[in-house]
Amino acid sequence: MLFYSFFKTLVGQPVTVELKNDLAITGVLVSVDQFLNIKLDNIKVVDEERYPHMLAVKNCFIRGSVVRYVQLPAPSVDTALLQDAARRERQQPAAARR
Amino acid sequence: MDEHAPLESAGIEEPLDLVRLSLDERIYVKLRGDRELRGKLHAYDGHLNMVLGDVEETITVVDVNDETLEEVIRIVKRNCEMLFVRGDGVILVSPPSRA
Amino acid sequence: MSDLLKELVDKPVFVYLTDGRTLVGQLTGYDQAANVILSQTHERIFSSSEGMKSVPIGVYVVRGETIALIGGLDEELDEGADWENVRVEPLDPVFL
Repeated sequence: MLFYSFFKTLVGQPVTVELKNDLAITGVLVSVDQFLNIKLDNIKVVDEERYPHMLAVKNCFIRGSVVRYVQLPAPSVDTALLQDAARRERQQPAAARR
Repeated sequence: MDEHAPLESAGIEEPLDLVRLSLDERIYVKLRGDRELRGKLHAYDGHLNMVLGDVEETITVVDVNDETLEEVIRIVKRNCEMLFVRGDGVILVSPPSRA
Repeated sequence: MSDLLKELVDKPVFVYLTDGRTLVGQLTGYDQAANVILSQTHERIFSSSEGMKSVPIGVYVVRGETIALIGGLDEELDEGADWENVRVEPLDPVFL
């Protein structure tokens, strides 16, 4: 749940999603769900010359399982808050986790 | 379950607790696809999803020469200020002192 | 994922499958598992030796697990694109 909540705080921010086959797509994060499926608006494929296939696609839903990385806007990430949340998440008893 | 193992007081019960001790430290992550990351660990979860800061990515690419069939290893480096890493690609996580 | 698909219903969509194939069609329906029904579907076959080929394949039910990405298609941009002269390798499959 930590990263689901985290991504929700980044809605409206520009991100670059890199898929497991190296295709990278930049766009504004519109929403995310519990599987970390991601919805982007105003998208642009990073290497358009090599990947013109999606030139007419303006928004998209990306399945969480095909994602390798998401590059985030560093100033929008509160790292102290994130670390606290990560520590807290692990301190819950095992039964209450997941 | 009532467990009172000696390590419990240190909060160490399972492998991922050692990852918790690396929060706010620079770590080394080995990923599928001959990729390695070095960066500061800001968050992780039970799937080993992570957020890393000031990341250096190292990709090892093997180019095969079409004619000689000789394999040439090429190292590609990339940097990223803030990166979410999906846990299903993670092979291992290590503190940087050992990397 | 399925919640995210609501607004694309009855609209033209681009579907990128994990095996690298690409489809366009109208999104007729979907379910919880993000299985989708496409109508007036065309498979878009890309090749580096010739222009893109659009092959009509009618109504298609696509299993959610095989979908890497679904996007809303901008019809104006799509019709304006010079697809016959787009000579590129197909998109790569995604190995999960």
